[in-house]
Amino acid sequence: MTDVLRQVYWLLWKDLLLEARRRDNLLSMFFFGLSLLFLFSFAFEISADNVSRMAPGLLWLAFMFSGTLALGQLFQGDRENDCLDALLLAPLDRGAYYLAKVLFNFSLMLLLEIFILPLFGILFRLDFWHLLPEVLLYTLLGTLGFCVVGVLFAAVTLRARARALLLPVLIFPLMIPVILGTVRTLEIILGAGAPQDLVPWFRLLVGFDLIFITAGFLLLEWVLDG
Amino acid sequence: MDNVSKVYGLLWALREVRLEVAAGEWVALLGPNGAGKTTLLRLLAALAYPTDGVIELFGRKLSYGNSPLRGMIGFLASGAHLYDNLTVGENLRFFASLYRGETAAEERAEALNDVGLQEKAGEYVSALSLGMRCRLAIAKWRLVNPRLLLVDEPYGSLDSSGVDMLNRFLESLCAAGGIVVLATHDIPRVLERCSRAVILNRGRIVFDENRRDPWDSFHAAFDALDSPGLPFGRA
Repeated sequence: MTDVLRQVYWLLWKDLLLEARRRDNLLSMFFFGLSLLFLFSFAFEISADNVSRMAPGLLWLAFMFSGTLALGQLFQGDRENDCLDALLLAPLDRGAYYLAKVLFNFSLMLLLEIFILPLFGILFRLDFWHLLPEVLLYTLLGTLGFCVVGVLFAAVTLRARARALLLPVLIFPLMIPVILGTVRTLEIILGAGAPQDLVPWFRLLVGFDLIFITAGFLLLEWVLDG
Repeated sequence: MDNVSKVYGLLWALREVRLEVAAGEWVALLGPNGAGKTTLLRLLAALAYPTDGVIELFGRKLSYGNSPLRGMIGFLASGAHLYDNLTVGENLRFFASLYRGETAAEERAEALNDVGLQEKAGEYVSALSLGMRCRLAIAKWRLVNPRLLLVDEPYGSLDSSGVDMLNRFLESLCAAGGIVVLATHDIPRVLERCSRAVILNRGRIVFDENRRDPWDSFHAAFDALDSPGLPFGRA
């Protein structure tokens, strides 16, 4: 296990360093997410009555579409110069590679959310700052769910010719439980539901994350080497 | 390799290849473009599956995915397998960490010094020439020290001092009981040093002999190759 953690550390170090120098994933996510938020805030009539029902769905649409952009580019750095071959050649635990990519994608999403959430509050005149711990908890659980499924299927489509088209088609149906769970819990937190209704959604999100992270850890070997 | 074949779509890249290599051997893999040299190296590196046949390394069947054998195999591909946006030092540190864990800075500096790149440690790989990238790849494998080193066309990008340095490294690897399989088109250069020459043509081994001086039978076999070209045939 310490070998796996060591490999995760080095792979994550490499991905973060490459992203810090290129910044192409992060910038495209930011600008796309920002554009979507502005578009939504102008396109929809959101009032104090319906804000708690509508805002979480719109927020997660922005996260999901921006996140899909990043997922499409997730393995790009490793594809250049046949570096993926160099990684597959090494005595690298494929599960460690999966975990490193999940953590990297999660870090990118987290940065996007730190940037988007305050803007979202301002644009939709939503005062959720006193509820920030709950909002963060469910947003992070949802983000992790997005990443664990997304990374696995980004790897599945890695060698496909039309991977940019294929990836959303594959992941969006699978992400229905996690999107539904996160949007519903955010609605409840913002006052559109009874607090006791949070419990089943919380279980669903945790279960989803655990199942897919285990599946990804175990399956990546077959996906990459198969 | 026992009866190994590899088919891509309708093309036989390799056909019923049998090859046994002993410890300490330096095998030169020769043949025209499309003969199957790189495919053979990729199969030995477990980067591709054979369509048919079995590959064993060091007495163990080569499997795919997380295999302990992977730590013993190196693949020196000229100019490839390096991250452009990492520096020379960072590339070395990263790849060495995958094989051996964290390496000492002095050890990495020494490996760079050996290939003449000590001044370039802080430069991005994207700024290096192909020859320097090849030197960096040599430094990487010096640090890792694999038991089987597969080398794909290294001479084209190296200057004469780089070629000498590479040859010395490969000889030291063989002297320590390692195996080198080197694919190249630079026949005179490799025949001076290798211990065995194998010619592939259209996916088949057409010549396989240990070192002779002079290599008369080798030249006769190479001259007799019929219209060198891409592999052909239906799967």
